[in-house]
Amino acid sequence: MAGISIRGLAKNYAGKADMAALSNLDLEIGDSQFVTLLGPSGCGKTTTLRLIAGYLVPDAGTIHVNGKLLSSKTTVVTPENRGMGMVFQNYAVWPHKTVFENVAFGLKLRKIAAAQLKDQVERMLSLVNLSGLEGRFPNELSGGQQQRVALARSLVVEPDILLLDEPLSNLDAKLRERMRAELKQLQRRTGITFIYVTHDQAEALALSDQVAVMHGGKLQQFGTPLEVYAKPSNRTVADFMGLVNIIPAEVLDRTHVRIGPDAVLAMDVPEWAATGAAADLAVRPENVHLAILGAEPGGELTGTVTDRTFLGNIVEYLVRLPSGREVRAQAHPLVLAEPGAALKVRIDPTQCMLFPREAARPLAHAA
Amino acid sequence: MSEQRLAAGAIAIGPAGQRRTSPRWEYVILGSGVAALLVLIVLPLASLLKSSFISAAGVGLANFYEVLTEPLYYNALLNSLQLGFWVGVLSVLVGVPFAWAVSRTNVPGKRFIHMTAIISYLSPAFLTAIAYVNMFSPNSGLINVFLRDVLHLPFLTFNVFSMAGLVLVTTLGTFPFVYLLASSALQSVDASYEEAAQILGSGRMRTALTITLPLVAPAIVAGTLLAFVHAIALFGSQAIIGLPARIPTLPTRIYSLFDYPPQNGVASALSLVFVLITVAALYLQRLFLARRSFVTLGGKGSRPQLVDLGPARWLLLAFCTLVFLISVLLPFSTLIAVSFSKTWGLNFWSGLTLANYKYVLVDYAITRKAIVNSLILATVAATVTVLIGAIISWIDLRTKFPGRRILDYIALVPLGLPGIVMAVALLQFWLSTPLPLYGTMAILLLAYVGRYVPLGVRAASTSLRQIDSSLEESARILGAPWVTTAREITLPLMRPGLFAGWLLVFVPVIQELSASILLFSSDTITLAVAVYNLFESGYTEPVAALAVVNMAIIGAAIWLATKLGGGRLGKASIQSPKIGAA
Repeated sequence: MAGISIRGLAKNYAGKADMAALSNLDLEIGDSQFVTLLGPSGCGKTTTLRLIAGYLVPDAGTIHVNGKLLSSKTTVVTPENRGMGMVFQNYAVWPHKTVFENVAFGLKLRKIAAAQLKDQVERMLSLVNLSGLEGRFPNELSGGQQQRVALARSLVVEPDILLLDEPLSNLDAKLRERMRAELKQLQRRTGITFIYVTHDQAEALALSDQVAVMHGGKLQQFGTPLEVYAKPSNRTVADFMGLVNIIPAEVLDRTHVRIGPDAVLAMDVPEWAATGAAADLAVRPENVHLAILGAEPGGELTGTVTDRTFLGNIVEYLVRLPSGREVRAQAHPLVLAEPGAALKVRIDPTQCMLFPREAARPLAHAA
Repeated sequence: MSEQRLAAGAIAIGPAGQRRTSPRWEYVILGSGVAALLVLIVLPLASLLKSSFISAAGVGLANFYEVLTEPLYYNALLNSLQLGFWVGVLSVLVGVPFAWAVSRTNVPGKRFIHMTAIISYLSPAFLTAIAYVNMFSPNSGLINVFLRDVLHLPFLTFNVFSMAGLVLVTTLGTFPFVYLLASSALQSVDASYEEAAQILGSGRMRTALTITLPLVAPAIVAGTLLAFVHAIALFGSQAIIGLPARIPTLPTRIYSLFDYPPQNGVASALSLVFVLITVAALYLQRLFLARRSFVTLGGKGSRPQLVDLGPARWLLLAFCTLVFLISVLLPFSTLIAVSFSKTWGLNFWSGLTLANYKYVLVDYAITRKAIVNSLILATVAATVTVLIGAIISWIDLRTKFPGRRILDYIALVPLGLPGIVMAVALLQFWLSTPLPLYGTMAILLLAYVGRYVPLGVRAASTSLRQIDSSLEESARILGAPWVTTAREITLPLMRPGLFAGWLLVFVPVIQELSASILLFSSDTITLAVAVYNLFESGYTEPVAALAVVNMAIIGAAIWLATKLGGGRLGKASIQSPKIGAA
């Protein structure tokens, strides 16, 4: 089992010197961790993965595994000598080899005796529920089955580190759900360090011990799923981890923030925000609570419902505040208000985040 | 289904779910497509089959018996197979390194290497053969003379009139088949297949041998078979080099069977044997190419990393340059040099002249006529072929006519017919009808259109496939009748593709020899036939001038089409598989 230590890693692609694919990445990945590299396309997550695998040579920085230097600008251990495994987005199951031959390939390279090899391959195939399909060719398999072949092929050689490049993105929603659970179990059981690349924040939250949120070639935050969701370190991370309302705010003192002409929120103001400073208040829709007018006396805000979307387990409202700004709120389906209705709006101050004011820009969500 | 059955043979040609406001036009088009394929392909082939069973002894297998037992014939068969085999082997030895260099290494001058293959592919084989005779004929070939009389190194001389010479000259035009198919396969192998092997511990060499090679092998085999088929069908080089070398092959033997008195039956039987070999090879080729489909199965593929060859890349470039020298520079410069010399020999440069050009372009009526004939024939043939191609592909892709797949298959049949076989079939058919077509431009036109109709269909269906039928459907829902839709929407959208197809036919027709040699008359002589006849009569220098004129016309056609078609055409014309897929 292995820990990975990445320091000052950088990579530029030819012809794009002005925009680094990856710049100055520091990452300490512990032994037997499930770590996700999360970000929109072009954020540098796949570049990072390919640097770890040894397909790319870094322009600066180092990668150590268990204290051994694997990559630097001048020395690169080739992929075949790293003892890692990798699952590709398109699975890369060799179309001219049967399921058995695909899985046996790595063992043959390790000169495992035929009987033991057969035994190991069969054990691995039964682990990924592919027993009985040994003689099939990849074009006779479904996407999910190919995916398992790719997994089995990587795991049978017992790597210390398994790299996964968006392995679930080509599967349909149901199958994705199931494979997600299987992957998680597999990682817990084997103790292999998983480095998992995805642009799907729900997947990252569900699977990982640690999430590295990346954007524009830079690491934005590295923490547990709860940390990156509830305590994002900046607006980019807050944006990417899920829907978020951004409300212009003014810092009144260390415990109060004004978010509208007659609306003041009592909350702990972070150190950087001086009294009188302009800031952005970010709050997720599930922390904007709606209530019928008059039911609870003394609310801070009222708003008018402009749109309502029924999503099954929740109802999402767009509510126009007196300032003219619309906020998104989620409510239980039992609270049903028609568009045009006036509601009381309560923003949970303990779940609010305050960020320095930024120019308006589109949300950085990937598909 | 039931709707289709109800309408079978009657009104089933309307696209599904559309109003059939003007079915008459659709009938006309359907009818003309069927009639064209009947006249061009089906009836001539039926006549060929019929005449192969008719001999002096009556109806039977006597002709086939003779073909397979007489050394005169089976030797030609064996020579052809031998030629095809060695050309195939040599094409792999040149084409695969070319493909690997361009698609997987950091070799310098990739464009130059690619263009070498393309120019070799476009150069008419019989002109290359003539150039090589000028360089390497045993007694008077310039390079041989130089080696023997100036350098006194007689053991270095090379006799082009040999199987080795024939194989060499033929390979120069066929290795691009292997190159084009192999390089497109190498480029479409998803890099992750190789990376997956690498991370499991497989080194570069092992990955190349166990992953890459098996994946691209079908394409290499397919390219080799294509080279084989192409090689054995070339009449010109086999007559120019093979006959003096006393190496008869199938095309030259079939040709000699039409010396007076013509032996139609034996010629037909020999032609059918020829077709059998070609079709078998093409069938295998399709089989292998179909296996290639798995190469592109992957999803979002990443580009393969290029191999850094270090200093060895200059060695690879040197190899490619050598091929350029042999296949492009030497033959082209020889033909140009010969065309300007008074007498071809060691001192040719002392008497440079334009007289040869004046002779073939002005003084000599036959070559003058040949040039005009070929230009007319190529223009008309290309236009008609593309038109028929558009009709066939339209029937195949846009109607529910029950027999449309068969039409499409019939239109592919000429791919398996060597030029001379096409000519034999046309002769058998038209000589049995009362129409006096033999000796007219019409029979040449039929031969050209028939030979190249597969190219027309392919060009048209490629572009028709790219036009989503919803584009046509939206015109019809707005009330446009079928004819208007075709004129306003379909044809304009197909135009670039049809234009590419036109060039694809024009270029081979302007250099067509294999079928023309049996079908021309003194009034309908063509450019290639005139070159061949002049060469046979020993007019070395004027031949070269006419050859240069021939190449200039080809070059001008490609240049013009590239100019008009904005680049896309030039690429389409070389059948670069990369473009074909785009």
